[in-house]
Amino acid sequence: MSEQEKEKTTAAVTTTEAPAPATAAAPKAAPAPEETGSQYFFGEPLVGFDPSEITGSLIVIEGMDGSGRSTQIALLQEWLESEGFAVQTSGLRRSNLVGRDIDELLAKNAVTRLTLALMYATDFFDQMEHRILPALRSGTVVLADRYIFTLIGRGVVRGINRDYISGLYAMALRPHLTFWLNVRPETAFGREFRKAQAISYWEAGRDMSLSHDLYWSFIRYQTMIKREFEVMAKKQNFIELDGEASVPAVNKQLRQRIAEQLGIRSTKYTPSAALSHLWR
Amino acid sequence: METQDVVQKPPRTEPAKSTLPQPGRPVPSRAYPGALIVVEGTDGSGKSTQLYLLKRWLEIGGYRLHFTEWNSSPLVKSATRRGKQRRLLTPTTFSLLHAADFADRCERQIMPLLQGDYLVLADRYIYTAFARDTARGCSPRWLRNLYRFAPVPDITFYFRAPLDVAVNRILSGRPKLKYYEAGMDLGMSYDRAESFRLFQARILEEYDKMVDSDNFVVLDGTIPVNKLQKQMRDIVASKIELKRFAPRAEEAE
Repeated sequence: MSEQEKEKTTAAVTTTEAPAPATAAAPKAAPAPEETGSQYFFGEPLVGFDPSEITGSLIVIEGMDGSGRSTQIALLQEWLESEGFAVQTSGLRRSNLVGRDIDELLAKNAVTRLTLALMYATDFFDQMEHRILPALRSGTVVLADRYIFTLIGRGVVRGINRDYISGLYAMALRPHLTFWLNVRPETAFGREFRKAQAISYWEAGRDMSLSHDLYWSFIRYQTMIKREFEVMAKKQNFIELDGEASVPAVNKQLRQRIAEQLGIRSTKYTPSAALSHLWR
Repeated sequence: METQDVVQKPPRTEPAKSTLPQPGRPVPSRAYPGALIVVEGTDGSGKSTQLYLLKRWLEIGGYRLHFTEWNSSPLVKSATRRGKQRRLLTPTTFSLLHAADFADRCERQIMPLLQGDYLVLADRYIYTAFARDTARGCSPRWLRNLYRFAPVPDITFYFRAPLDVAVNRILSGRPKLKYYEAGMDLGMSYDRAESFRLFQARILEEYDKMVDSDNFVVLDGTIPVNKLQKQMRDIVASKIELKRFAPRAEEAE
């Protein structure tokens, strides 16, 4: 690991450093929130929310496109429901507030990186406040298909200051478990291509002008994102799983850790006929 | 030196160094050749009227300028409208959506124009977000971080009017206050006018806190319009080298 990367590691997600103000002077009299965040939030608490009401669990699955996140989440949901747990899922661009607007911005490709990052933050907090927190308050298990780590990584590789973008997510709830399905970009490319017989503009990071060749653009972009994940993995206690392994093998590891967290005795599971096509 | 070399760009006191805004890094006014003038104040403080008159003065004089308004980016408009109509917005998402709107204008208009040596006039700026969102309960520290990509204005006029004056100007001129405008989301009162008054009081308090820390030029919003405008023009003329934004010689003749 280079010196520079070490530096990055220390500056990762938590907002321990006071952000530089936009204007001439800082608000010195600002009611100082905890410097290192709390057990519930990465930084400062969310306005009007009492975290002690949480009775559910927030379980995050992170990983690049083609790492198998959505397959695993579908299987975990079925397993947890069969164990009698209520499950809610969340993911990027699924908010009622701006989910569709982001889709449109992406389709038009007429948006600058900062605006896009802020729209994703809006999308994230709308789901946090209207979907994730209410579910956690009622004892539900929330399975999050990606979380702030993807959003931070994407911003950082596009040159947005790390402290800045981490600071945006200061009021994000700390997950109970964060899994990282780590795969090689080459494997991910094959899986993604098979899915749609094409690679999308954004998956390949085409906005970053890395290469005119779609394959190389994808590989370079996803490698950059992967490096960001490596930086965050240590700092944020990711549970790293080998995403190259078979679906049942990855699923078994996920079930074991989740069973521990939720106090489920048995981790036995065979998918129903509806999901058996995923089990390979 | 100042008048001879007319084909060149007007002389600059500071050279332009950076060419692109750095998201998340503060942008000092020395980083670009243009100049940024913003007006701030509560609703009904008279700031928009005054900025309009300033703009007319500069336009008539032929200066290169661009005018930009808070909450006006077409990209984010539909989301803001939907959020307000359906009352989906919380203090956090309200704040983020306005920041996205501002970022869009900042990256696509304000920064490029400042780089291109324009005079940029902004009706409301990041201080509106600081005052309003803090009044809604957002953390000031989080807000300062959120907007730290914004260029620091050359002049920030703060139009200060007593609460009753400002509130009565709005209440007498507007038949119905909108939900978020009146701060109804804060649940301070079921009566819109009363809620508006309480909300504006909080905002005024937040503005007052920034006067020193953010170098506001405070103007009295209660004095006659033309006298106030005279003060404003004098201050602009004394603080900004307007000559630099004057029509270039070959265009004028």
